[in-house]
Amino acid sequence: MSTMQKTIEFRVEDKFSKITLAVGLIALLLGGFFGLIQLIERTPYMPSIVPPKTYYTILTGHGVLLALVWTTFFIMSLAVYIVSRELRVNINKTLLLLACILAIAGTFSAALAILLGKAAVLYTFYPPLTAHPLFYLGLVVLIIGSWIFAVAIFHAYLAWRKNKPSTSIPLATMGVLTTLIIWLEATPPLAFMVLKNLVPMSLHYTPVDVLESRTYFWYFGHPLVYFWIVPAVTLWYYALPKILGVPLFSEKMAKIALILFIVASTPVGLHHQFVDPGISNIYKLVQTIFTFIVATPSLLTAFNIVATLERAGRLRGGNGVLGWLKKLPWGDPVFAGMTLAFILFGFGGISGVVNASFILNYVVHNTLWVVGHFHITVGTATTLTFIAASYLLIPVLFKREVASMRLARAQVYLWFVAIAIMSTAMHIVGLYGVPRRTYDVTYGGQIPSSWIPLLLAVAVGGIVLVASGALYQAIVWRTIFGGKRLEDHIDVVNEATLASPTILDNLRIWIIVAVILIAVAYIPTFLEIYSRGLSLVPPLTPEGQILG
Amino acid sequence: MMSQEEVRLEYLWVIVVVSMLSAFIVSLVYVGVAKGFWTPEEVVTCDVKKLDEFIEPGIRELEPGVYEVNIVARRWFFEPGSTQPIVLENPRKIIFRITSADYIHGFEIVGTPVNVMIFPGYIAEVEWIPPKNLQGEFLVLCNEYCGIGHSNMRGILIIKR
Ligand code: HEM
Ligand SMILES: [Cu+2]
Ligand SMILES: [Cu+2]
Repeated sequence: MSTMQKTIEFRVEDKFSKITLAVGLIALLLGGFFGLIQLIERTPYMPSIVPPKTYYTILTGHGVLLALVWTTFFIMSLAVYIVSRELRVNINKTLLLLACILAIAGTFSAALAILLGKAAVLYTFYPPLTAHPLFYLGLVVLIIGSWIFAVAIFHAYLAWRKNKPSTSIPLATMGVLTTLIIWLEATPPLAFMVLKNLVPMSLHYTPVDVLESRTYFWYFGHPLVYFWIVPAVTLWYYALPKILGVPLFSEKMAKIALILFIVASTPVGLHHQFVDPGISNIYKLVQTIFTFIVATPSLLTAFNIVATLERAGRLRGGNGVLGWLKKLPWGDPVFAGMTLAFILFGFGGISGVVNASFILNYVVHNTLWVVGHFHITVGTATTLTFIAASYLLIPVLFKREVASMRLARAQVYLWFVAIAIMSTAMHIVGLYGVPRRTYDVTYGGQIPSSWIPLLLAVAVGGIVLVASGALYQAIVWRTIFGGKRLEDHIDVVNEATLASPTILDNLRIWIIVAVILIAVAYIPTFLEIYSRGLSLVPPLTPEGQILG
Repeated sequence: MMSQEEVRLEYLWVIVVVSMLSAFIVSLVYVGVAKGFWTPEEVVTCDVKKLDEFIEPGIRELEPGVYEVNIVARRWFFEPGSTQPIVLENPRKIIFRITSADYIHGFEIVGTPVNVMIFPGYIAEVEWIPPKNLQGEFLVLCNEYCGIGHSNMRGILIIKR
C-alpha cells in the first residue's frame, strides 16, 4: 500500500501548476505596473502622464489582470497541487491540457483587446459601453476553460471517493472543492448574459438593457469575491497549523465555515446594487440578510485561526493575555505573510459590513472607500496569502531554493505597511466623497481641500506597495531561474489521515441548499425586471460614438 | 483535541456572532420601516431616442420648499447642474428625477448622502430631505465611469437659506 503511494508521479500536474503560476505572476507584474501609473495620474500635484483614454485602458488592465487573471491562475495552480498531493490521485491529463489551453487563449484574447486600446470598459464591462468582440469572447473562453478545469478536479475527487467511500474529505481539498463549487454557482448566468447581450452588442450593435445586464453581472460579482477569499482561508486553515506544528483549533468549525460559503456566497449580489433604481427595496433587504449570513463564516474563521495561533504561542512558552503573540515565528515570511494578510482581512471584513449595510451604502458607493476595501481583501487577504504560499510552492514545483528568505521577509512586511497606509487613507477620503475610477480628481480646481492630504497619503502607501511588489517579482524570477537547486523535494501537502465522513462531507446536500437560496433571492428580482419590460438602449464606444 | 473549556468558548463565540449580526439586520430594517430610510427603487422606463417626451430638464417648485429637479445626464454633463447651477431656496424636500441619454452615469452630491446610479432607458426618482440649516455650494459629480470624458462630468448645487 505505502509503496504504491510512493510511485505515483505528478509530472503533468506539476507542469500545469508551473505554467499557471507563471501566467499568474506575469499578470501580477503587469497589473502592478498599471497600478503605479494610476497612482501618479490620480495624485494631486503630480504631473499628468497619460491621456484619459489610456488611463481607462490601463485601469481595465489593472482590474482584469489582478482581480481576474492573477487570482484565477494562482488558484488553478494551487488547486492542482493540493488535490493531487492530499488525495494522492492523478488528474486527467487531457482535461488539464484543454483547460490550460482555453484559459490561456481566452486571457490572451481579452488582454490583446485591452492592450490594443479596444476595450476601455473596465473589468465590470457594463453596457452600453462597448468593447471589441475579442474582449467578450476571450472572457467566455476563459470561463469555459475554468469549467473544464473544475470537471478535471471533480473527476479526480470522485475517483478518490470511490476508493475511499468511508472517509471524510481532507480539509485543504474541501477548501478547493468549495472554491470550485462557488465558481460553478457564479459563472453560468454571467456567461449566458455575455453571450445573449454583450457579444451581439459588440458584433452587431444590438441594443441592450442596462439594469438586466448589471444584475447578471453582480449575480456573478459577489461569489467572485468568495472565489478569491476561500482559497486564502483554506491556506490559513491548512498551512498555519502545519507551520506551527499544532492541529487546527477546530476542524469541524472550519468545515462549517466552508459550507456556509457554499450556501450563502451567491444570493447576495444585490448588495452591489443598493443605489441602483429599479430593484425593489424588499429584494435588496432579503439579500442584505443573506449577506450578513455569509459574514458568519468569516467571523468563525477569525476565531478559529486566532485560537490556533494562541494555542501554538502558549505551547511555545508564551503566557499572559497577549504574551503568546511574541512566541510566534514572525521571522518566517510564509507565516508572517499569511498572518499579516489574515489580520488585514479582519479590517476588510469590517469595511465590508459597512458596504453591505443597506442605506449606509449611500455614503460609500463608488467612492475611494470601496477601493480601500478591496485592496485589503483581494489585494492583500488573498494576494499576500498567495505570495506567502508561493514561497513554499515555488521551491517544491521548480525544485529551487527561494533566492533570499531575508528579502522575502522584508517584502511581506513592506506589503503590510504599504497597504495599511494606502487603504486607511482611501477609506477615510472615500467618506469625504472622492470618487473611484476617475482620471482627474481635481475637478478643474474645484477639488475640496479636505481631499488633498489624504490623497497624498494614498500615494505614499501606493509607492511602497509598488516597491514591495517589485521586490517580490525580483525574488520569484531569481528563484525560478537562478535559485540553488534542491535535490530531493519535500511535499508541503501530505496525504491526510482521515476520520469518517459526517453530514459536513455531504456536498450534494449543501449544493441543493445553495440552489434553493439562490432561487429565493433571484427569481423575484428577475421577475421584477422582466415583467416591467426591458428598456433597450444603443451601444456606445468609450469615445462617445453611438453604434448602430 | 479541544478541551471542554475550549468547546464552551467556541459556542460562546458563535452566540456572539449570531447576536451581533442579528442586531445589525434589525437596525437596518428599523431605520427603513420606522424612519423611512430606504434605497432608491422607483423607476419608469423611457425611450432614450425621444427623451423630451418623458422628461423636461429643470426645476419645479411643487409647493413651498418642495422641489422637483429634473436632470438629464449625457456625455459629459448634467442638465441642469453643469449647464447652469441648480439653485434652491429654503428646500425642505428635494425630489430628483434623473435619467441618462447614453451611458450609465452616477449622480453624487459631495458631502451629502445623495448618491444614485443613472441608467439610460430608466428615469429614477429619489427623494432627499436636507438638514434644516444646510446651505452653500456643493460639488455634483458623476461617480460611474462613462467613457473618456467621465472626469469632466461635474456640476454645482447651491442651497440658499
Ligand atoms: C501594485 C500596487 C497597486 C497600486 C499602486 C494600486 C492602485 C490602485 C488605484 C489607485 C486604483 C483606483 C483607480 C481608480 O479608481 O481610478 C486601483 C483600482 C483597483 N485595484 Fe489596485 N493597486 C495595486 C495593486 C492591486 C492588487 C494586488 C489588486 C488585486 C489583486 C488590485 C485590484 C484592484 C481593483 C480590482 C481595482 C478596481 C478597478 C476598477 O475600478 O475598475 N490592485 N488600484
Ligand atoms: Cu459583494
Ligand atoms: Cu461618468
